Amino acid sequence: MRERLFLGFVYVLLSGFALICFVPFWIVLVNSFANETLIQTSGYQLFPTSFSLNAYKMLLSGDQVFRSYGVTLFVTLTGTVLGVIITASYAYVLSHPKVKYRHILSFLTFFTMLFGAGIVGFYILISNWLSLKDSLWALVLPYLLNPFYAFILVSYFRSLPYELNEAATVDGANDIRIFFRVIWPISLPVIATVALFYALQYWNDWYLSLLFIDNYKLHPLQMMIRQLMSNLNAMSYVGGSRTEYNIIVPTYGMQLAIVCITIGPIVFVYPFVQKYFIKGMTLGSVKG
Amino acid sequence: MKNNKRGHRGFIHEVVKNRYLYLLALPGMLFLLVFAYTPMLGHLLAFQNYRLSDGLFGSQWVGWRNFEFFFSTNDWLRVTWNTVFLNGLFLVFGLGTAVVLAVLLNEVAVKWFKKTAQSFVFLPYFISWLVVSMMVQTMFSSSEGMVNQALAGLGFKGVDWYLTPEVWPYILTFVYVWKIAGYNSIIFLASITGISSEYYESAKLEGASRFQQILYITLPLLRPIIIIMLLLGIGRIFYGDFGMIYALIGDVGVLFPTTDVIDTYAYRALRQMGNFSMSSAIVLYQSFMGLIAVTLFNWLARRIDPDSRLF
Repeated sequence: MRERLFLGFVYVLLSGFALICFVPFWIVLVNSFANETLIQTSGYQLFPTSFSLNAYKMLLSGDQVFRSYGVTLFVTLTGTVLGVIITASYAYVLSHPKVKYRHILSFLTFFTMLFGAGIVGFYILISNWLSLKDSLWALVLPYLLNPFYAFILVSYFRSLPYELNEAATVDGANDIRIFFRVIWPISLPVIATVALFYALQYWNDWYLSLLFIDNYKLHPLQMMIRQLMSNLNAMSYVGGSRTEYNIIVPTYGMQLAIVCITIGPIVFVYPFVQKYFIKGMTLGSVKG
Repeated sequence: MKNNKRGHRGFIHEVVKNRYLYLLALPGMLFLLVFAYTPMLGHLLAFQNYRLSDGLFGSQWVGWRNFEFFFSTNDWLRVTWNTVFLNGLFLVFGLGTAVVLAVLLNEVAVKWFKKTAQSFVFLPYFISWLVVSMMVQTMFSSSEGMVNQALAGLGFKGVDWYLTPEVWPYILTFVYVWKIAGYNSIIFLASITGISSEYYESAKLEGASRFQQILYITLPLLRPIIIIMLLLGIGRIFYGDFGMIYALIGDVGVLFPTTDVIDTYAYRALRQMGNFSMSSAIVLYQSFMGLIAVTLFNWLARRIDPDSRLF
């Protein structure tokens, strides 16, 4: 009896927590389809009594959302592909017993996690020394090698049997070939995990665009959210050239709609990729 | 001299011998050099009166003046306190909730329920802080927010949340737990799964209830990893979460007294006042405190559990 009470308690607590995690998503979604006047007069609703596609129509009538989607897609794809290749090949060298300086390299990599450069040096580097202000590369380059993900891969590569390597060496293949032809294919699950972490980071980042992108034509989706949340003149931002001034602008609706458009792809692929994240974290916590 | 020469030849010999491997690492090494080590020069600005037109090597050196200025008002105390206090709240409640979640999830035998619950609590980890900020507004906006609607429904007067700094440390903590606890619970759940089932079986034979098993087996065996996570957090206690705080609070000055952290303060000094040197001094102060915290962490970790130290 006592045990069943306890178990019931467990289920209730978990359901409660899961519900709390879900409700904000629900509110954003259903209110993005609500009538603007409903939100204005009675606030956000758990179950809106009206239905309207106005916010989406307005949002999709302008150019900005398509531009921003393009920017986010470009940054995410380029960053993930380059990041994974650079991180994996770097991690492979750190894990390779033949490399004499691997300990020095590991330490130099680890040290950047302890003592950072700080915002000022970073800002001057990107905007003055590399002149990447208002360039999409400013959104890609700074995240290409994450030491933490590198160490996840190092600990995985170390666990691979060295004989794999030797067999290929005997066949006369050089180390670059060995890495891409032998090591890469068998490491694919872990590499996919790291790729997903990178993709998530690029998709969700707004720090770099806050610092380095002033030209609104290069705003990624995250910046678009920020603009719509703070911009009083939302319509000209969203609409670009085709702006009309004689209509009621669904300010609230558009804020929610852009959020839905931004997180839509994540929520959609989430059920399929969740297990890779869990695996990656379990690997990472084993200690790199 | 002789040794030096040999060492030099050793270096070249090694690089030539493993040229393909070093070639493979080259992009990564270049990345670290350019994006991690070069910007460390920015710390020099803290001792300069930096002007963009004069550059790093042409600007006037002013010794400790920027630091004297930073420490002359109470701002440094306020932002340091806010950083440490908020991070402390996040750490304690974040880890506490994650442990509870992991223990609860582990008790569930019904597979679909466990999977579904886990999917839901993990979901907030996947969205950006800006999206979270929008969700927080749907809750706490004074006229349209759900919280004030609920208060009104219960007959209370609504609160202007965005004008009430005292409540924000707790709102931020709640939001932080909401976003991160599910993520952290996975780490704890993984180590619970690693606990040998023999412990639980013999406890069952002795007639221990499930609650007792949690109390006397699961939690004590989780202790090492809880301590590691706690110490890791302490090592980073002087680094505020810029992405979170700036997304949720932004430039709402009314809320600065309780929410302004070192990172947001340095950001505003840089971007809104354009004072590079001042911002650099703040950041260097933070890095210095951070280094002390990490050293302390390492010393503590070595005393508690030699395996979990960093260096």
